[in-house]
Amino acid sequence: MSQLNDGNDDTRILNIVIVGTAGQGVITLKRLIEFIAAEEGYEGIFGSEMHGLAQREGAISSHCRLQKKKSENIRENIFSPTICYGDADLVIGFEPVEILRNAGQFASDKTTFVVNERTIPPILVTAGKETYPSLDEIKEMLVQYSHDPGHVASLNATELAITELDDAQKMNMIMFGFAMVTGLLDFTLETCETVVRRELRDADANMAAIRLGMERGRDVLKK
Amino acid sequence: MRFSPEVGKGNRFLFLGNEALVRGCLEAGVGFIAQYPGTPTSDIGETFKDILEQQPALSESIVHHWSANEAVATSSCAGAAWAGIRALNPMKHVGMNVASDALHAITLAGPNPGALVLVVGSDPGSLGSHHEQNERFFTWMHHVPMIEPHSPQECHDWIKLAFDLSEKYDLPIYFRTSTRSAHSRGIVDIDDIAVAPKSKGEFFRSTDKYCSLPPYAINNHVRLYERIERVTNDVPTFGLNTLYPGDAKIGIISYGIPFGYAMEALHQLGMDDVPVLKLGMTHPLNDDEIVTFIKDLDQVVIVEELEPFLQVNVREIAQKNRIIIPIIGGDAFPKFNEFSTGLVASVLAGITGKQPSPRIQESKDQFDSFKAKIPSRFPTFCPGCPERAMLMAIKKATNDLANPKTIIAGDIGCYVMGLNPPLRISDFIICMSGGLSAAIGLSKKTYDKIIALIGDSTLLHTGLPVIVDAIANDANVLLVVFDNRWVAMTGHQPPVGKGRIQFEPLIQSMGVQWIKTVDPFEVDKTVRVIQDGLNRDGLKVILCQRECTLMARRVYDAERRKLKADKTPYACDTFQVYNCVLCEHCTQELSCPAMRRMIDEETGCTVMAIDEDRCNFCSVCYQICPHRRIKKTAINPHLETKLKLRRIEPQ
Repeated sequence: MSQLNDGNDDTRILNIVIVGTAGQGVITLKRLIEFIAAEEGYEGIFGSEMHGLAQREGAISSHCRLQKKKSENIRENIFSPTICYGDADLVIGFEPVEILRNAGQFASDKTTFVVNERTIPPILVTAGKETYPSLDEIKEMLVQYSHDPGHVASLNATELAITELDDAQKMNMIMFGFAMVTGLLDFTLETCETVVRRELRDADANMAAIRLGMERGRDVLKK
Repeated sequence: MRFSPEVGKGNRFLFLGNEALVRGCLEAGVGFIAQYPGTPTSDIGETFKDILEQQPALSESIVHHWSANEAVATSSCAGAAWAGIRALNPMKHVGMNVASDALHAITLAGPNPGALVLVVGSDPGSLGSHHEQNERFFTWMHHVPMIEPHSPQECHDWIKLAFDLSEKYDLPIYFRTSTRSAHSRGIVDIDDIAVAPKSKGEFFRSTDKYCSLPPYAINNHVRLYERIERVTNDVPTFGLNTLYPGDAKIGIISYGIPFGYAMEALHQLGMDDVPVLKLGMTHPLNDDEIVTFIKDLDQVVIVEELEPFLQVNVREIAQKNRIIIPIIGGDAFPKFNEFSTGLVASVLAGITGKQPSPRIQESKDQFDSFKAKIPSRFPTFCPGCPERAMLMAIKKATNDLANPKTIIAGDIGCYVMGLNPPLRISDFIICMSGGLSAAIGLSKKTYDKIIALIGDSTLLHTGLPVIVDAIANDANVLLVVFDNRWVAMTGHQPPVGKGRIQFEPLIQSMGVQWIKTVDPFEVDKTVRVIQDGLNRDGLKVILCQRECTLMARRVYDAERRKLKADKTPYACDTFQVYNCVLCEHCTQELSCPAMRRMIDEETGCTVMAIDEDRCNFCSVCYQICPHRRIKKTAINPHLETKLKLRRIEPQ
């Protein structure tokens, strides 16, 4: 018997997992989402970052938990900064195998994945000692959670960032735009812009990246 | 803005636990902060540093130190407290091992007339540390009250209370966070910055209070028992412990982040009727408070990470009060690694016979079905890291550590990552400066060559006395000092005395005869210097001098952006692989993450390639490729303006 609050009312908790490797901007995006939620007036915001392995090629994951209105039953509210196994609603993956590694245990039939296709091979893969699964194989594993290919969408955000914006670091904002068009994040673009201008340097470039992600993301989701 | 006196009561911000704690300290009138950086507390100091930069007027009254080590920091804080100042001393869990010696004497004396609050960042799961350790037992040993917050709001509110309690009871307060509570963000209602920190205090001589030696040693020990007993009696008045009522006959006692897991696990199991006692003060416990909670229960479950601490204390109270019920904790939960909601739900389900959400099992089954296909990913050196280049040179100089047979004494810093495959270069790691220390013993009792590794910050933390010891005892060791100008592993704090301490004359003055400086990006020369050093007797030192590439790259990128904005053309070097024969030399010896194994589209052959957006142009792969298949391409070589990584930050 599950007592999870899966209803659609405003007290429902939205669980987001953002995964990637150190230096890809996982924490920056997690903070941005939380600041946008605060700007939108969400009452429950709690989420865990990771510090300590900054930019050392390690695996990084952040959990972000949002609740529009707190429930009158206090025990239905957010108490933990990390989410329960199987309880992710949205996984934003900056690196394909990192989704398997750090989001796998948190995914279930209700999870939607947005995937950056660009791989960052671990050093043992580069050394030829381990194998990196193909992108198709990875997507197939993710589809197994819901048996619905509509729950797994991918684009090469890093390549887009390099070719269209001349800055590989903008990949995280492209992925945010991509996540926005899944409809799971109930934010207006105006609020996003307000917060981006307040919290991030180079706001125009970041907004351009978010818009690019939304545009290309819509194309992907149409298919 | 969030840390400004202009905002106060009625304002609400999203804060990380550590940020909330800093805001609370400002509101409490903190005047002195000293710490050695360590995850998850480094950003407390960084935040203070930023605040002092942005509000220079505050520097009159607030002083922040990056200290040489944790014991120095704790004693510095005691000094400030003894001048009547409110002092804050953050450290990571293993920092408490170093600070413990100082803390014991300081606790016997007491921090009055000022206050001393330690923030100890624990790390269950070893998310940003070399190992896990339950340092809560220090509070028991030293008789120091311990507060453990759950949310950023509690970090904010309770750190203020901690200063008040420290002042009131003349005891240091042990404010224990964890990687999760320090680095989780939540909504915080702030207060006014009401208490102005004193710019200077005054020290009043009191030999019997501050000198815990005979004849005062026993008196202070007696006085310590009196102080901690007063705290024990007053615990219920602090408002730190909260009861979440329920009618069930099973009850939960927890604290901090594990309390969050327990609450969500109970809800998921349909057990909202289970009473939960959330302890904000986890040492000392108040007997009456515990007895009131457990006396009508059939069973108590203690949800706590690592070694059972609360469980032992609650059992003692139950036994004293003749309450005979199962008090379950470390016997049902793992005594290692961090917990999660899913784990707590599974254990509680096992204890109560309830069913956890089916999603937990489905998710686990699905994950298990592909787990074996996930390639491992170790943290490793960044592309272009000078430490990787140096470790590779050591392997070259010793024919892969075999000829001469060479033992590598590792230490704490980025270079620990050398232990991971494929480099595998660190034979043991103990603690800060433990590498050279153990090397002294090894050098006396083996015939092997020994190379000890140490970073600049670790050397200044505890390494200098070890050099003295190695010289005094004629140890035969080659010491490599990574002088990269940053405490890089913990997020680039400046090492103590940055720029003011010159390693070469310092080490020479200690009696080291042979000391050489190398640039690890000059591979052949570095290898020759290592071989030369290994052939000599006594303690030899190589200063491996190259700024952390991440920091040098930041400067490089800033210059590049400026040149681009000014439309000034510039020269630079790039590196590419041509006609790779896949000899694997670079992947095995260097294993740089900017290298990628891929299929050449024209030939269909597997080749190595360099990811241009990740390469930091150290040129080491270019120098070592035995088939000369890595080419350096000079862009605009005729131009005078040339961009390259600076070797070291100008003094």
